[in-house]
Amino acid sequence: MIALLTILLCAGILISGLLAVQLDNLVSAVISAGLASLFAAVVYVVLAAPDVAMTEASIGSGLSTMIFLYAIRKTRNGD
Amino acid sequence: MVEIILDIAFVLIFFSIVFGIIRLVIGPDTVDRVVAVDLLTIIAIAVIALLAHIANRYIYLDVALVYGLLSFLGVLAVARYLEKGF
Repeated sequence: MIALLTILLCAGILISGLLAVQLDNLVSAVISAGLASLFAAVVYVVLAAPDVAMTEASIGSGLSTMIFLYAIRKTRNGD
Repeated sequence: MVEIILDIAFVLIFFSIVFGIIRLVIGPDTVDRVVAVDLLTIIAIAVIALLAHIANRYIYLDVALVYGLLSFLGVLAVARYLEKGF
């Protein structure tokens, strides 16, 4: 039961990473990259590492998504 | 009785993740993908709560708390960007 869920979460990480590479829209790609790190945080909880999961959820999903959006806005002003 | 409820919750979570990923892949617009990511985050909170019950470690619920706060902030930031660009 846990193994099936872990396999599904790892498939979610894989699909999110492929979407982050393949998508043309930059905001969609940033959101997909954030989703990959969210699934990785759940997998860390499965692996019994809750502190690593908390750090991954706060930095990988929250902070990096906001910084990427800020960078997209900064670079699009120059076009 | 508890095992039956946990099995039903597991099946519902499984199919929710599958349908959320399908919407993320085929979503034609950015807004569809934002909503799909919000859905998958809430499902992930449910997964963490289920794991906290199964592993009998209630320290995992703190992770779910941080997760919920940060997903709210992330979706809020993306929505603000889509509305008027920060």
